[in-house]
Amino acid sequence: MTGARKLQGDKLSEAEAIQRAKQGDAEAFETLYHLHKRRVYSLCLRMTANTASAEEFTQEAFLQLFRKIGTFRGESAFSTWLHRMAVNVVLMQLRKKGLPVVPLEETLETDEETHKKEPGADDVRLAGSIDRLQLEHAIANLPPGYRAVFLLHDVEGYEHNEIAKIVGCSIGNSKSQLHKARMKLRDLLKTSRAEKAAKP
Amino acid sequence: MTCEEFERVLPELEGSHSLAQEQHLRTCSACADLVSDLNAIEQKARLLEDQEPSPRVWNNIEAALHREGLIRQPQPQLAPPFAHPARWRFAWLVPVAAGVMFGAGLLIMHWQVGTQVVRQARVATPAIQSSSSVQSPSVPSAEDPMIKLVATSAPSVRASYESDLRAVEAYIHDAEVAARNNPNDEISQQHLMNAYEQRAMVYEMALHRALP
Repeated sequence: MTGARKLQGDKLSEAEAIQRAKQGDAEAFETLYHLHKRRVYSLCLRMTANTASAEEFTQEAFLQLFRKIGTFRGESAFSTWLHRMAVNVVLMQLRKKGLPVVPLEETLETDEETHKKEPGADDVRLAGSIDRLQLEHAIANLPPGYRAVFLLHDVEGYEHNEIAKIVGCSIGNSKSQLHKARMKLRDLLKTSRAEKAAKP
Repeated sequence: MTCEEFERVLPELEGSHSLAQEQHLRTCSACADLVSDLNAIEQKARLLEDQEPSPRVWNNIEAALHREGLIRQPQPQLAPPFAHPARWRFAWLVPVAAGVMFGAGLLIMHWQVGTQVVRQARVATPAIQSSSSVQSPSVPSAEDPMIKLVATSAPSVRASYESDLRAVEAYIHDAEVAARNNPNDEISQQHLMNAYEQRAMVYEMALHRALP
């Protein structure tokens, strides 16, 4: 996402909106909000799996951004800065509620966590047949720790070194959690498909 | 390479495989399906659509921005002159009409006051002709029309006006006495005319202050 994307007609570009927002321009704030609201809200929604919480965190993320916009110097993309703020808001709230975001230590794999292939099981490939809504539903059923890393990496495109800084874990732990998240999603999607196939 | 060994290193691979891992994938359908599924999940996740928040989110943000004083009200931009030629075509008539009305009001009031000044001056003139009686200087009364006008329109200057009027009335009295006693003295007559002129000036100044 570039930093100077021109909107249609005579509306403000993102760069112009940032400059004017620093001066307290109301229209500029609104422009920046509408430019980024969907991505921020969707991240919050997927991380919380709750509409009300997602709205609250979206609101807080934008407010924190607008309070600090005077300090934005353009070293990174504005969207990256906003996104990081949104992630931090959500993670902070999750920690406040006592929910584990990402385990600080890699846990030893147990028999329950290890993916075991049942002999004779009908393993149908998911490739090419993953339903978007089923995936959304499966993500919502992930444990919060897995969900956070999966969203940041596979949905939002962060690298493991960035994820490690954001959630406060090691790069190795981030990779491990991502793998476990994908494995869990695979199980959930297959279960969902099996249930769907079993219905008359 | 066994399936367990392959799955142990899978989190670190991130799409790239060693020769041994490639070899295992060619020979093990289960692990090949696993890699395929995990890749499909990753690819599908990147295509997930974003969702729209409720309008109340922006409403709450905007309200908070106002509360915290982060939004500054823009300065009202004045429309450039003649920006709307049709609307301003007859606008020049407004100040002209206002000026005409104001000037007419001034003329009317000045005529009224001037008439009173002349009347008062005429009243004062018989006192000059009569040598037998010397009237004491007239004390401004509350019924004086100009005093009433000043008291109504500019009460803050009433005291000052009355003081000026008292002083000029005293001057007129002295000038009348001198002119009466020296009817052929041109200087006395000139002093008397000056006194009357000063009273007219006091009236004019009071009128000027009384007008809005």
